[in-house]
Amino acid sequence: MVERVMMKGNEAIAEGAIRAGCRFFFGYPITPQNEIPEYMSRRMPEVGGTFIQAESEVSAINMVYGAGGAGARVMTSSSSPGISLKMEGISYIAGAEVPCVIVNVSRGGPGLGGLSPSQADYFQATKGGGHGDYRLIVFAPSTVQECLDMMFDAFVATDKYRNPAMVLADGLLGQMMEPVTLHEITDLKIPPKPWATTGATGGRPLNLINSLGLVGEELERINQRIQAKYREIEANEVRFEEENTADADLVLVAYGTSARIARAAANKARIQGKKVGIFRPVTLWPFPYQQLTDLAKAGKRFLVVEMSVGQMVEDVRLAAGGLVSVDFYGRFNGAIPSVTEVYNEVMKLTSKQGVA
Amino acid sequence: MANIKELTKKNEPLSGGHRACAGCAAPVVVRQALLASDKPVVVGSATGCLEVTTTIFPYTAWNVPFIHNAFENSAANVSGVETAYRALKKRGSFDKEVNFIAFGGDGGTYDIGLQSLSGAMERGHRMLYICYDNGAYMNTGIQRSSATPFGANTTTSPAGKKIPGKTQFKKDLTKIIAAHNVPYVAQASVGYWNDFITKVQKALATDGPSFINVLSPCRLGWGFPPEETMEIARQAVACRIWPLYEVINGTWKITFQPKEVTSPLDWMKKQTRFRHVFQPGNESILQKVEEQVEKEWQELLRQCGQA
Repeated sequence: MVERVMMKGNEAIAEGAIRAGCRFFFGYPITPQNEIPEYMSRRMPEVGGTFIQAESEVSAINMVYGAGGAGARVMTSSSSPGISLKMEGISYIAGAEVPCVIVNVSRGGPGLGGLSPSQADYFQATKGGGHGDYRLIVFAPSTVQECLDMMFDAFVATDKYRNPAMVLADGLLGQMMEPVTLHEITDLKIPPKPWATTGATGGRPLNLINSLGLVGEELERINQRIQAKYREIEANEVRFEEENTADADLVLVAYGTSARIARAAANKARIQGKKVGIFRPVTLWPFPYQQLTDLAKAGKRFLVVEMSVGQMVEDVRLAAGGLVSVDFYGRFNGAIPSVTEVYNEVMKLTSKQGVA
Repeated sequence: MANIKELTKKNEPLSGGHRACAGCAAPVVVRQALLASDKPVVVGSATGCLEVTTTIFPYTAWNVPFIHNAFENSAANVSGVETAYRALKKRGSFDKEVNFIAFGGDGGTYDIGLQSLSGAMERGHRMLYICYDNGAYMNTGIQRSSATPFGANTTTSPAGKKIPGKTQFKKDLTKIIAAHNVPYVAQASVGYWNDFITKVQKALATDGPSFINVLSPCRLGWGFPPEETMEIARQAVACRIWPLYEVINGTWKITFQPKEVTSPLDWMKKQTRFRHVFQPGNESILQKVEEQVEKEWQELLRQCGQA
């Protein structure tokens, strides 16, 4: 059955998770993501699922660790300061290779910051965030529809690789309403989980959920296995979108909310005859390094647009490898770049270089 | 005992013009508490309604030194401030007497901040922790906390066909802190200013850690007209859902006896968060509330040696 409804991004995340077979939600209040736990508190009992509001973010993520270790499809959600508090648990979950989905509807920082949308958690999301050599598989939705759809993608990826996945939205996506198409998902793609702690009856060996390695080079071996898995994820799971890059002189690189703004600015510049394209990383880790390197080799310059002082721009510079110049335009601490601001930046860059 | 005329002559520690809702009790709690101090105060406050409505940058309503900290850290943060002052005094580089007061809401105190509060109480810092208990996470949009009363409708304990609001009773935090055997612990209500201010004065005179849990009705989260805040705060005492007592060095004492004892159900009827429990079919909830209030009252009487 296909249904078309108006939804907030936060509600779409919650409904997307339920449709993706998530039956356990553990959370804690923080703005601007409260609609997720609120929706779950109402909806989970309807589908036979469990909603628990923990007494802190630390408890919520450790409940996720427990339920994920028992083989459940499980999630939590929070916003920037709350994600920081969850980081210890996330590192343990990555170390123990337990699947789960963490949603960050991010806001401005550092510290308590503000309540307005921000993309300043890119480093935290993509470079590990907590301690140790680990990564999260990070999806960055750009529409309310994607907020819904990417919950399924995130659950499939986390179960497939036994690695925590994150959906990184921001306060703007979480709070705004858009029409959404609701699909029934017939194949939930939940793989067998023989490693889960489900009760070792019938003579199978005991399962242990653990991230400790004290003996000899055991910890190095564990990490080698995890790293091999990461190489596999990098080979298979990179997702991106590009528009009008073939003939472009300047490519705007942006994700999530910024990608919407950058696209509008690029279209406006196209009307003025500027050869401007758009490149949008859909997964932030694994990052589409190769695709950006190919564009750089073809001589395309980059303008990175972010709602931060510049975080993803470092990955774009890595990809560009010094072949082309990489410019940056950002508004931050809760400020959102306007289409006009980005358009002006595009016009400045394209006329300065004499590119028409 | 404080005199209200004298109090009005003192400088306002928390200025008006902050952004708390009309009828919010939290700023009243702060003003009453800080006016009770006869020494300079340093205040720390966890994230929550109080902090958000009084400190939105670049403004501040605080006319006293103020430090903000993340949700779970008010007690730890003020522990650090108090320790630093003590060290400065020891070295002779500071000689003033200062009172240290940490504020937290029920979310930041009953739930996420309980660990740091317990640590501060156990270590014995000379500080007063005041919990303004409005019975839910009001700042983020009325989510249940462990201080939310049984049966209350919140956005994460929604009253529906399957579950009639919150299914757990309120955590008894005041007794938990009393079990730390600190010199002064009290329960107060913003509706009885004289009782509350007297308790703050006793707490600040204590050489060691002290804790006051003060009921702070939230008109938005509880659902009553803003002009009735003080009345609701007083009626909670009258119906024994929130008795006023103190524990001084392990000795328990009820500090206020209402002239007329009312039913907790009358108190609940005035608040829309309990509207659903008065619908047919929910009689067992009402009965459970009455039984629990009576049980806790008898327990308190026993602790006070009055049973």
